[in-house]
Parts: sequence; structure tokens; C-alpha cells
Amino acid sequence: MQFRRPLVALAVSVSVIASLAGVGQGEAAYQLGAPEKVLQGTITVSAASSLSGSFVEIAKAFRKENPKVKVRFNFGSSSSLVAQIQAGAPSDVIATADLSNIEKLVKSGEVAGAIYLKMFARNQMAIAVKPGNPLKIKTVGDLKNVKFLSLCGSTVPCGQYAATVLKLARLNINESKITRAVDAKSALNAVSIGDADAAVVYLTDVLSAKKSVSLVKIPKALNVDAIYSVALLRTSNNRETAVAFIDYLLSVKGQELLQSFGFIKI
Amino acid sequence: MTKRRPISRPPLFIYIGAMFGVVYICLPLVSLLRNISWGSLLSQLTDGPTLSALRLSLVTSVAATVLALILGLPLAWVLARVPFRGNYLVRAFVMLPMVLPPVVGGVALLAAYGKSNGLLGALLFDSFGVQLTFSPIGVVIAEAFVALPFLVMAVEGGLRAIDSRYEELASTMGANEAKKFYLVTLRLLRPSLVAGIAVAWARALGEFGATITFAGNIQGRTQTTPLAVYLLLESDPQAAYSLSFVLLVVCVLVLISMRDRWLGSKR
Repeated sequence: MQFRRPLVALAVSVSVIASLAGVGQGEAAYQLGAPEKVLQGTITVSAASSLSGSFVEIAKAFRKENPKVKVRFNFGSSSSLVAQIQAGAPSDVIATADLSNIEKLVKSGEVAGAIYLKMFARNQMAIAVKPGNPLKIKTVGDLKNVKFLSLCGSTVPCGQYAATVLKLARLNINESKITRAVDAKSALNAVSIGDADAAVVYLTDVLSAKKSVSLVKIPKALNVDAIYSVALLRTSNNRETAVAFIDYLLSVKGQELLQSFGFIKI
Repeated sequence: MTKRRPISRPPLFIYIGAMFGVVYICLPLVSLLRNISWGSLLSQLTDGPTLSALRLSLVTSVAATVLALILGLPLAWVLARVPFRGNYLVRAFVMLPMVLPPVVGGVALLAAYGKSNGLLGALLFDSFGVQLTFSPIGVVIAEAFVALPFLVMAVEGGLRAIDSRYEELASTMGANEAKKFYLVTLRLLRPSLVAGIAVAWARALGEFGATITFAGNIQGRTQTTPLAVYLLLESDPQAAYSLSFVLLVVCVLVLISMRDRWLGSKR
């Protein structure tokens, strides 16, 4: 690590060590590490599209405490974000809907260091259907009755999680009934504004879609445990702000905001 | 043809600007070639899902061009030849899909022809059981929607460039409307008509946003080549590059074959 000023290095290392200690400690450590240091500059956060609602709120709260900071977002499917970063797209922080995509970045040397890699939330899958549930879908098994099912691409996390859910329910749906969306949000849009009968997407996305779709929950035994992870990127040129953002995500306030969107504590 | 007057040579900075323009467009396209594994090109293109995407693209883009022609030719005619109030407004609306984000076009198509919420689509489904979304016909509708303005623009330009004295002459020589249209107007219009068809077809072939939003992305049913490229970029980048290469070659061939017909002024 190379920092121009020792104070900055101290602040960063203290907050990193503190964040290693676990969720809920981050915020305190960040205040402890840099009591009068004013964070500034712009950071770019590449995040899974299922985080778009919650991250915008978190950035608002983060900026309230750090008025000189600007947070720019780049939302997309986790695997396309990884591809962008490997192709050299400038970004300070990445947050994915799984662990394996960030592992790809660790392997290609794009993550600033394993200590900057954190799991910060969990999510589940759920079924979204047309408002009022006209096809009376109650279980995953009932999905065999739909005409068109909307899923994410089979290589992005939400598509892989959906495949696991269908597999756990021993349900084999013909590919000719499946429309593949570019990311989690658009998979849901195919039901809310399009003509797909159902979608298997993140619970948080279904919750934030409010009245445009109806929610059918999937029991735990047939569900997955989507673990969201975040990392600092090697090419970041504003590491102290980027690390502060990661810490904020793990802080009590950040966690509360995430949970208000339906995410589960790690 | 009269001999052209020699044109004065443009200043140096114009040459430099033009050179940068060429590099700007060509560098990414040529760079794409580096990613292609030539040895396995054929096997990648004849792979099941890839082949069905290519086949679907060919069929739907041709059908979309025919639809654009049926709707676009009369439209261009009226815009070029009939002076009426609000002419410019009609033209602005017809050209809209050219500049609109295609996804917005797809959402608009859903609002009109969707099964569940579409103005016309709900009626179609309730009375005849016809569903346009998630069907190859839906792909054709989405592609024609974005391709139509290109056809209208080329044909309207061509019609304006035709010297109307030829048509008047045909009338005085006793040709009826149909004969005049077929023997005179259509022949004079041919270069711009060909150009319009070619550009509309190339645009339909490359359509992505409106298609995935309106017709979905169902393998073998509505998954056209650009949609397959997008999904393959993550699972099998090599196959994605091979498919992109095919699209590129086809479009280059179309544009080269048109040469100077695009502006419709070759007389």
C-alpha cells in the first residue's frame, strides 16, 4: 500500500482492521479512525442490479455524513460487471450478488487485497406473478402451468439461483417457455410491464416492485442463500472514500437500510 | 453527363479530421477480428442455438423489411408529394424510432400490442386468442418499428429528387396512373428504393432493445442473433465474437453494395 500521508494510511488501516472485526463495528471504527478528516472526491461503485434501490438510499445517507463525497453507480448483472472491470473499466468498489464472481476478480488480481473483500447481505429467491395471481400459482411446482416464464441469463447469479430453485423442486421447464432477461430487474419487468406470466427473481426486487406484481414466497427448504459480497478494487484512485463506503455498508445504519429493502443479515 | 468542374482541394486539417474519423470507426471493428478463433468459426456458427438464432434473424429481418416497405413506400410518397398542414409533424413522429432508445420503443410496443396491458393487443387476445409478444411475429413487429424510418427517409429523398417533368410527360403521352407509376416513377426511384431496403434490412438485423423488451428472448423462438451475442458474451465469448463477425460481414457487404445509392441522387 502506498499513501502519501501517514494519517491517511492510519485511518485506512484502522477502518480496515475494524471492519474485519465484523458487521456493526464499521461505523464506530470509521469515526474513530479519522475524527476530523473530511472525505472527498468521487467514487464509482459497480453493483449488481438487484442492489439498485437499496444502494441509492445508502449512498444518500452516506453523503449526508460526508457532504463532499460523490457516489456514482454502475448497475448491471454481476458477471457483466466483472467482465467490464477485467476489460479496464474504472471503478472503485464492486458489489456482486454472489461470491464466485468476486473470486474471479481476486484471481485476475483486480481486487485490492483479500482483506477488502466482505460479505455484507443475504437474499432469497421469490416468484413474481401478475397482480392478483390469475394463474393461482402457490408453489414452485405450479410454475409448470405458466405459458412464459421470465428468468435471468443462465450465466448471471440470479439465473443460476433460479435454476437451483427449479432443480430443488424437481421441475424441468422447457427452454422454449423461458425468456431470458439481461439482468434481475428486467426479468421482473417482463412480468410487470410485459406478458410473462411469472418470474423467479430476488425477493428484494419483488418487494420493491410493490403493486405491479404479486409475490409468491418460496419456502426455505426449496430456496437458495444468495450471499452478496463487496470488494475494493486495485485501480481505485480514491481508496479512503471507497473503504469508507464499504465500511458504511457494514455499519449499523447501512445494514438497517439494506434490511428495509428485504435483505437479510449476513 | 457533363464533365465535372475541378474542385479545389480541401485544406490539410480536413484531411486529418477525416483520417481520425475513419480510424475512430474502423479501429474497434478491426480489433474485433483479433478475438475470433478462425479454426473453430464454422463449428461455433453451426452449433444448435447459434444456428437457430441466425436462421431466425434472417427470416424475421426479411419479413420486417417487407412490412417496412409496404407501410413505408406510401408514407414516403405522401410526405414527399402531398403538401398538407402538419406535414412536418407527421415526419417527426415517423422518424422518432430512429432516435428513441430502442428499449423505450419496446415498452411503447408493449403498451400497444401487449397481451395483458396493450391497447390493441388485449383486444386481439380476448377476441381471437392472438398473442404477439414472445412470438416470431412480435420480433418482426419490433424490427419493422425501428427499420421503417430508415426506409421512409431514403425513399422520400429519392422521390423529391425525381424530376416531375418525366411523369408529366408520361401523362401527356396517355399513360394512366398505374402505368405512369410502374414505367416512370418506380424506375427513377429504384436506386433510393434499393438503398432504403438495404439500410432498413441492416437495421432490422441488428435490432436488440425493442426486440428483447417486446418479443422477449426465447431460444429458438424469439432469440435473434444480437440477443444471442449478448447472452453468449458471458457464457461463451468465442461464439459471441464469431456471431458478431457474421453480423459485421453481412452489414459491410450490404453497405458496400449500395455504394453511392444511399443519398438517392445518382441520376
